[in-house]
Amino acid sequence: MFEIKICHLYPDLLNLYGDRGNIIALTKRCQWRGIQVSYHSISLGDTFDPEAYDIVFMGGGQDYEQGIIQDDLMGEKRKRIIEAVEGGKVFLAICGGFQLLGKYYRTHDGKEIECIGALNLWTHGGSKRLIGNLVFACDFLKNKNFDGLVVGFENHSGKTYLGPEVEPLGKVSKGFGNNGEDGFEGARYKNTFCSYSHGSLLPKNPALTDHLITQALKRKYKDFVALQSLDDSIEAMARESLIKRFSA
Amino acid sequence: MNRIRFLFANWVTKMVTYALRLVKSGGTSLPGKLALKLYPGILGELSGRFKVIMITGTNGKTTTSRIAASMLEQAGIQFVTNKSGANLSSGVISTLVGALSLSGKPRVPYALLETDEAAFRTLAPRLKPEIVIVTNFFRDQLDRYGELYTTLNNVREGIKGTPSTRLILNADDSLCASLADKVPNTVIFFGMADGVYPQTGTSLNTDAAFCIRCKTKYDYSSVSFGHLGHFNCPACGYERPQAGLECTGISSYDSQGSRIEITGPDMQLSVKLSIPGLYNIYNALAGAALGYTLGLEPKRIIAALQDFECGFGRMEAIPVKDKWLKVILVKNPTGFNQVLSYLLTQEGSCVISFAINDRLADGTDISWLWDVDFELLSDMQDRVRAFYVSGIRAEDMAVRLKYAGIRSDRILMEKSFSLFLNRALSATEEKETCFILPTYTAMLDIRKILRKRFGLKEFWK
Repeated sequence: MFEIKICHLYPDLLNLYGDRGNIIALTKRCQWRGIQVSYHSISLGDTFDPEAYDIVFMGGGQDYEQGIIQDDLMGEKRKRIIEAVEGGKVFLAICGGFQLLGKYYRTHDGKEIECIGALNLWTHGGSKRLIGNLVFACDFLKNKNFDGLVVGFENHSGKTYLGPEVEPLGKVSKGFGNNGEDGFEGARYKNTFCSYSHGSLLPKNPALTDHLITQALKRKYKDFVALQSLDDSIEAMARESLIKRFSA
Repeated sequence: MNRIRFLFANWVTKMVTYALRLVKSGGTSLPGKLALKLYPGILGELSGRFKVIMITGTNGKTTTSRIAASMLEQAGIQFVTNKSGANLSSGVISTLVGALSLSGKPRVPYALLETDEAAFRTLAPRLKPEIVIVTNFFRDQLDRYGELYTTLNNVREGIKGTPSTRLILNADDSLCASLADKVPNTVIFFGMADGVYPQTGTSLNTDAAFCIRCKTKYDYSSVSFGHLGHFNCPACGYERPQAGLECTGISSYDSQGSRIEITGPDMQLSVKLSIPGLYNIYNALAGAALGYTLGLEPKRIIAALQDFECGFGRMEAIPVKDKWLKVILVKNPTGFNQVLSYLLTQEGSCVISFAINDRLADGTDISWLWDVDFELLSDMQDRVRAFYVSGIRAEDMAVRLKYAGIRSDRILMEKSFSLFLNRALSATEEKETCFILPTYTAMLDIRKILRKRFGLKEFWK
């Protein structure tokens, strides 16, 4: 029997905008297939050993809460996160979590806050919040039965830019994406996936959820071939209604 | 010159209000918008004409306003109030102008104003309220304000501009209680006595788990819900303040209401509340604190708490033939969770339906549905005849229910409100209740249909 261990980093601090919907989606889609799942939370003062987990999730927080984790994150945990990302561990980072994986965050008034630096990307604070529904196309999810379109909602003031080693998660067809300038949304590096699409990113996009589970199982089990398919008609309805609404 | 502009704005605004009523539009903010256009300085002119009581905070404003109105009635005070939740500047101005005579004199001495948290920042310093009640701070429509701390700071700024106002604050909310920091205002706190509501530990997903002063994680000796409770910071010592008015006992608590003990300075009240839900006990405490501040006798405070009308769409039971229809507004995770725990107190079968819109007034981001504990409903799903989903975001709600463990065949979607009401009602059996949980604009639309079909009274009266 297959087993997936999910680690949620700072769930008591980085928990904005329904981020836990992503954990719920990963958990349910494993359980529906008879894959055993366990949930582990790692927060301030806890030791983070990436080897103990198969999927690591980092959400977004309010500035106030992100300020609280700074010291804790930039110590031992930073080193472990960099190693795990390089080693190909499956990470999902949303909004603030996405920014924290990058090299730095430069605030609107020019102050530079050092971040983890696991990915070659950086963020500049903007004066205007980029808020609204988001639709973007992920080539790596595209196949003959699926258009690769992912739907979400973004709410951020930081504008993120990607270095050459980092691929975007997708191309924006509705919304702002990373910075509202280059037409890209999110980031992808090895098995790390980042997005500004918060809250309910995974539930409405089961193809992406299953991609993360597949990558995690492939790394862990030599005999794993593919996930069995599920009845996703409700999820498809939700995804398609948004694509239709915003492509008009 | 200003007097002429003021009177002109007053007259035109009145005419527009009457015209809107004639065409049976519930438009409660348009007249105020117009008044502001005609005379941008109108707020300054309005202040001083009324003794103002303002109620703000993220949850429970409307119900608390209703209770406050009941207190004023018991005190024999005549007042005007913005009844239908028109709580932005324009709605407040519409209300105040509506209470002026043609010559611009106030027809009543008091104004009781439910005020949006962002609007409070500018309105409070202008209107110089005698009393301000702040209910609580929970995450609410973050896409509009950015962050919960922004919302808190809006209220803090508003209070800074009005130092002689008496404040009524929630002691159990570490964010709300912090409004008393470093201000000269007189403050009365209300809250739940330690351990009255026997729940321990906060959930992971709370809005304010870390000290607002020093960012250390709070310890709690008891929690009522969300982040409300007896908090104390182990590092800097910031703790839940002593409350002047406390709920010291809950002797009964069910789907009909509760019986509670309230202990205040020189008073001990035993009150039967006919509004269910723990959050309404907080609203009642806030109202009682207002009664106390106004100098009401205890028996009058009890009377005010025991008979007040439920707020606009907050929890009204509508008889439809031999069935009941209950419409309960939902707008953020904490409020929604409270509604769900109320639903769990239901015995027997019922129909539960959700009407989720994502217009501006609802909050365009519906991600918060993932912060609501719909998982609670999976245990009672065998008693629920069907879960209906409707509204612009019906599909999102269906996904949420599916991932909460509700069986897919029990989740029924009908996007048109009119058809959805037909289907949900016909799925409800004799003497049972059909619950409708709408977001704000969905509630307005549903009310419109119900008014046409069943002749419900117009809400702005």
